[in-house]
Amino acid sequence: MTSLKEDLKKQIIEQLNLEDVQVSDIQDDAPLFGGGLGLDSIDALELIVLLEKHYGIKITNPEKGKDVFYSINSMAEYITSPKG
Amino acid sequence: MNGEIIFRKDEISADDFTKQIYKNSKLDYSKFYKMDLLSKFAFLGTEILKAHSKKITEYGDDEIALLFSNSVSSADTDIKFQKSYLEEGSPSPSLFVYTLPNILIGEIAIRNKWFGENLFTIFPKFDSDFFANYCNILLSKNTEACLCGWINILDENVDVFLFFVEKTEVNRINSPLNSEALSILYKK
Amino acid sequence: MKIFIGAENIISPLGSSIKENFSKLKDNVSGIKVFNNAGFKKEDIYLSKIPISPVGKYGFLLDTCLKDIQKNIPPELFTSPKTILILSTTKGDIEKTLVGTIENSAGALQNKFSLKRFPIIVSNGCASGVIAINTTANLIRAGIYDNAIIVGCDVISDFVLYGFQSLFAISDEPCKPFDKNRKGITLGEGCAAVVLSNTNSIFKEPPIEYIEGTSSNDANHISGPSRTGEGLVRTVKNTLALADMNEKEIDFISAHGTGTIYNDDMESMAFGRLGLNHVPLNSLKGYFGHTLGAAGVIETAVCLQSMRNNILIKSLGFENQGTPKQLNIIFENIKQEIRTVLKTASGFGGCNASLILKKI
Repeated sequence: MTSLKEDLKKQIIEQLNLEDVQVSDIQDDAPLFGGGLGLDSIDALELIVLLEKHYGIKITNPEKGKDVFYSINSMAEYITSPKG
Repeated sequence: MNGEIIFRKDEISADDFTKQIYKNSKLDYSKFYKMDLLSKFAFLGTEILKAHSKKITEYGDDEIALLFSNSVSSADTDIKFQKSYLEEGSPSPSLFVYTLPNILIGEIAIRNKWFGENLFTIFPKFDSDFFANYCNILLSKNTEACLCGWINILDENVDVFLFFVEKTEVNRINSPLNSEALSILYKK
Repeated sequence: MKIFIGAENIISPLGSSIKENFSKLKDNVSGIKVFNNAGFKKEDIYLSKIPISPVGKYGFLLDTCLKDIQKNIPPELFTSPKTILILSTTKGDIEKTLVGTIENSAGALQNKFSLKRFPIIVSNGCASGVIAINTTANLIRAGIYDNAIIVGCDVISDFVLYGFQSLFAISDEPCKPFDKNRKGITLGEGCAAVVLSNTNSIFKEPPIEYIEGTSSNDANHISGPSRTGEGLVRTVKNTLALADMNEKEIDFISAHGTGTIYNDDMESMAFGRLGLNHVPLNSLKGYFGHTLGAAGVIETAVCLQSMRNNILIKSLGFENQGTPKQLNIIFENIKQEIRTVLKTASGFGGCNASLILKKI
């Protein structure tokens, strides 16, 4: 689970062009949106692309993204949990 | 800026040219890194102009018209966006939103909270007649000043020229304009 | 100086002449159909597509549209140095090439129609068409030109479709502007032209008067409109003020109405703030789809037809109130005298533009 979270942070930094942000800057439980990273609605859509590209998970409704992308923890949780 | 070189690209630095200018100008704007090259250069040029001429920021929020132009439209970003779905597996939303040349006007407006007139035109080369005429037209309507720019970016070719036109500075509008007159050097 | 607007023409899935297009609109017939294997994942997508080969479609549409305009105004106008062609487009012939396509199309037009001046190209996102008309009127009022042909053209491409899909902006059914159950845009393509002049005698059919027009930026977000409709409010206020008119004089509003939650909500907020929510209003995107750079010109051409025929066209796709502020959406065609029309447009980059037309 820890390396998944590490990977997620690296992937997010790369996918969202977060210059000058290190893996150590992103806390596992900190809100990704409305926090210090300055992510907006377009970044949320890029995270949907990220999930599909790296984990083969498709989100077809961007509204669902709000819960999934709340934090690194919630993302990792979603990736590892069984889906119907 | 006004014919004088105020910053030169550092070829050895790991940072690209826009990041160098950003840091050198001591700017702090988190949206900067999301922008495409067109918007970055337009944004940086505007910030440098504002630093040089404080009165730009004294205008009312809808008194400045934004008049920009180039010849290649958003081709630089278009190529990157096309690559995202042809080669990288999926169309990128953060690239797609920059595949219109007028987005750079939006970025300047957002940064400065300017609600004035907007126009983006495409010309084969910088058309000083058009800018001179159209600035005069807008200045005779509701506009008090025009922030104008030629922002032409494709691959390594960067040709950026911005100028600010006010009602009192009539002479400046009529001079034939050349691309070296601003602070950003372009490299082929 | 009075500015006259007329000689309108439209080429779209509804037809290849203004008469054909307006006839279909009166019958409330839509150009939107489902296309198989159209999207990024080869899924079915609703689009408003002209049924000709995509190869050379962009250039063909421009040529055909302008040839028709040539029949409707004195031929010597095209080649006069006091005539300018304005091209309104977002992506040009993007399927052909990504670099230089728009410039090439404009150059081709100059050659083909022996224009004295290289066309002026306006590329301001979805507000391009209205901005192009306003820019032209300003240039004529300044005496730089006497006459102008404004042509708007955009075609459907994988580039644009995939892009909007990445934003989850494409509706999985024909778009429903302002409706409670709207799910996004339907892409469309088309080409339209209008002629502006400082002389009314150049027109075969009596022209309408172009009164005024302005643009204003939302200064909010590059791809999402201001929640309060700030830019749209300002442009309409400015246009009314420059026209020396008040909002009570507007008989009909041809809105932008794309079918996305954000855009249509924003327009309702703006028209509410302007005191215009009781004015009959429609969006034409249920007929043409969203034609991007062509939209402002296509929809202005329809305004002219509506004014000539005194018919307000039903806002196709609308069934139930679905915006924070109520609007007077045209539920079915209405025959009534239309004297003064407000046309608005909004687009990516926070662009908003408006113009006012008035019967002479």
